[in-house]
Amino acid sequence: MAEPLLQLRGITKQFPGVLALDGVDFALTTGEVHALVGENGAGKSTLIKIISGVHQPDAGRIDYLGAPATFPTPRAAADRGIAVIYQEVALFPDLSVLENLYVGAYLRPLRTTGRRVDWARMRARAQEVVASLGVELDLGAPVHRLSAAQQQLVEIARALLRDARVIIMDEPTGPLAQPDVERLFSLIRQLRSRGVGIVYISHRLEEIFAVADRVTVLRDGRRIITAPVAHTSRDALIHDMVGRTLDALYPKTAVNAGTPVLEVDALGKDAALADVSFVLRRGEIVGLAGLVGSGRTTLAHALFGIDPPERGRVRLDGIDARVSHPGQARELGIAYIPEERQRQGLVLPFSVGENLSLAILRRLSRLGFVDHAREAAVARDFVRRLDIRTPGINVPAAALSGGNQQKVVVGKWLAAQPRVLIMDEPTRGVDVGAKAEIHRLMSELAGRGLGILLISSELPELLGMSDRILVMHRGRITGELRRDEATQEKIMTLATGAA
Amino acid sequence: MRIRLLWRERVLIGLLVGSGVLLALLSDVFFTPANLLRATRYAAEIGLVALPMTMIIISRGIDLSVASNMALSAMTMGLLWQRGIPVWPAAALGIAAGTLAGWLNGWVIARVRVPAIVVTLATLAVYRGVATGLSGGTGILGFPDSFLALGAGTVAGVPIQTIIWIAGIAAAAVFLTRTAVGRYIYGIGHNETALRFSGIDVDRIVLGLYTASGFVSALAGMIYAARVGTAKSNAAAGYELTVITAVVLGGTSLAGGEGTIVGTMLGVLIITILQNGLTLARVPAAVQDVLIGTVLVGAVLTYRERAGRKEVFVIAPPQPEPHHAGGRVLTDPGNDLAVGEERRNP
Repeated sequence: MAEPLLQLRGITKQFPGVLALDGVDFALTTGEVHALVGENGAGKSTLIKIISGVHQPDAGRIDYLGAPATFPTPRAAADRGIAVIYQEVALFPDLSVLENLYVGAYLRPLRTTGRRVDWARMRARAQEVVASLGVELDLGAPVHRLSAAQQQLVEIARALLRDARVIIMDEPTGPLAQPDVERLFSLIRQLRSRGVGIVYISHRLEEIFAVADRVTVLRDGRRIITAPVAHTSRDALIHDMVGRTLDALYPKTAVNAGTPVLEVDALGKDAALADVSFVLRRGEIVGLAGLVGSGRTTLAHALFGIDPPERGRVRLDGIDARVSHPGQARELGIAYIPEERQRQGLVLPFSVGENLSLAILRRLSRLGFVDHAREAAVARDFVRRLDIRTPGINVPAAALSGGNQQKVVVGKWLAAQPRVLIMDEPTRGVDVGAKAEIHRLMSELAGRGLGILLISSELPELLGMSDRILVMHRGRITGELRRDEATQEKIMTLATGAA
Repeated sequence: MRIRLLWRERVLIGLLVGSGVLLALLSDVFFTPANLLRATRYAAEIGLVALPMTMIIISRGIDLSVASNMALSAMTMGLLWQRGIPVWPAAALGIAAGTLAGWLNGWVIARVRVPAIVVTLATLAVYRGVATGLSGGTGILGFPDSFLALGAGTVAGVPIQTIIWIAGIAAAAVFLTRTAVGRYIYGIGHNETALRFSGIDVDRIVLGLYTASGFVSALAGMIYAARVGTAKSNAAAGYELTVITAVVLGGTSLAGGEGTIVGTMLGVLIITILQNGLTLARVPAAVQDVLIGTVLVGAVLTYRERAGRKEVFVIAPPQPEPHHAGGRVLTDPGNDLAVGEERRNP
């Protein structure tokens, strides 16, 4: 390994009542991709906030470029070459790419003084950097017109324009489709070869094995282990993260699929959905694969009545069903766990109990009046059954971790006793422990005769959980793969329309 | 949540008692039964309209057309009565007209999806304009005593409209806190999308709210006409802002999701006794407006200050030890944001 770029020793950070970091050591060498993993609350975000000057450590020392360093503000860290690329892109959507690249660090004309800004010089340098990355980027385009992947590129270019030596990437693949993930990885390797040190945070362990050199596991504010990825394994990492061995990661039990519960025949909606037909049987988990924009969510919204289809037929247990709004879908026994948990799934200021009962509040009412005792009983029952970790049912849903919030959304829909459960990215942004629990729950529900349609951009999840996988491309189903024949390559071939 | 409501109500009750004492010192007439009863006649009109307004603002909407609707329905009633229809059927038809006007607001907001503030700003002008056109510029007088009793009569010494108001407060409070639809109204204010994704017919509830607002405004329009003895097109001019001021003073958040009927009732009482008492104390109208505006901003600021602290307290219980469940920390120690605050990247 090359010389250390950044070295943290014995970093401790105390928040009121919580020891967020307890004597953590962390080192990053030049040209290294160092992955940082751990469950939500393990201390990852506190650690990167300390590196990037948002928080100050209570104890411990930081050496940067071979000398002791302190970063009293984020600006100080940025000026010394430490860049952070957050999960949610932090750009100004209405400004151009060029303006975004230089916001807060405009270049002045070389010869004159004053407040003027030297756009020509800024453009020239930006072009240089973008070209050196081997990518294309229209510097004049407003950022809101760019794809998620291109926006990320803008952030990386911005970091390089400021001569970043350390780039911290927090869940960078969250908003990306598979081909863009590959492109990001090759970019990361390129940055590494230039001697940039990269701290890579992700919940997706496959990515860590694909791109990182070393990995550090944090748990409860302590460093558990730092090891080269070649010397560790997925199971070992999970064990270190959760402090116990999870039973199989994808606990899919073999089922005998029963009678068809959902039959979809030639479902269509303008250009977004073209003659989609498939059958979902009782006890079956059918995966729905495809790139972002391939029509998976459109299909789910059509089935659930959010955006009703224009053509085609839907049958439930052999009986024709017309779903024109979600209330109808619920009464027919179709449930939908939406893609955007916080925006579509939960009323965050409402309590856990109020969220759990939201879809069935009328059933818990007599003459329109809510039976509060029954409501609380139902809520407690689901908190217990789904093992939702909350101080109580009266705590606002906003206070829960992502995984537990997701369990609340699942509970809300299980309370409605559906026969068909559509899950749209059910484990996105959920830590590995909660993820395994959600997977186990899916298996259990399928075992009890529920038909589950699983939409996911995470191929290992689809492969691990599905009995069959349908692949969508441009609004149509381009292929169907049985569990035993499905591979990532076959799915990607069908999803990109290459077949 | 509960702690915060109690705090808010305490501020309001303090404000009510404080201004009552102050006004009693400023004017000998203020604290007499006759005056207080007269004040509640006016308060009942504002207070009735404020009940659906509270629910609408909780659902993150607004209805600016309420006062115009009062005039329109009173005018409708007056004209029908003038043309020979007995006064009570005429009043029923007037209320039907106002209900229809409210339904029309709701229909454009929920089905055509035009923002409530735009729709009701338009109908604020339209309904008042129609009322003026119908009236031909003159008021209608001479209603029978049985009708005037609605505005001037008493039952056991209590003004009739005050009794209607109290009944309305009880019904609205029970509706908002005990029924499923009441819960949905708060939910719509917080996150309409999540309600839709939970299978709740948001459009129908919104339509219902504006229709109810039309109905109650029309009822208040009848009471107004009965109190002043005239149906006229400039009736209740400017009431919409008094109503909204009272609702916001009562702690309902214009951002949606928050508010109570009890708070609104206290807000209405404070505004009306201030208007009444300050007039009696010969404080010029311009100064009254400045005072009321100051009280509004001051009160809302105290809610915010206090609310922030209480909310953090409630959400992150006593703080000391993090919840360890199965050996894992539930709270995110890195998350030092107040709940509801968006994460902003530095």
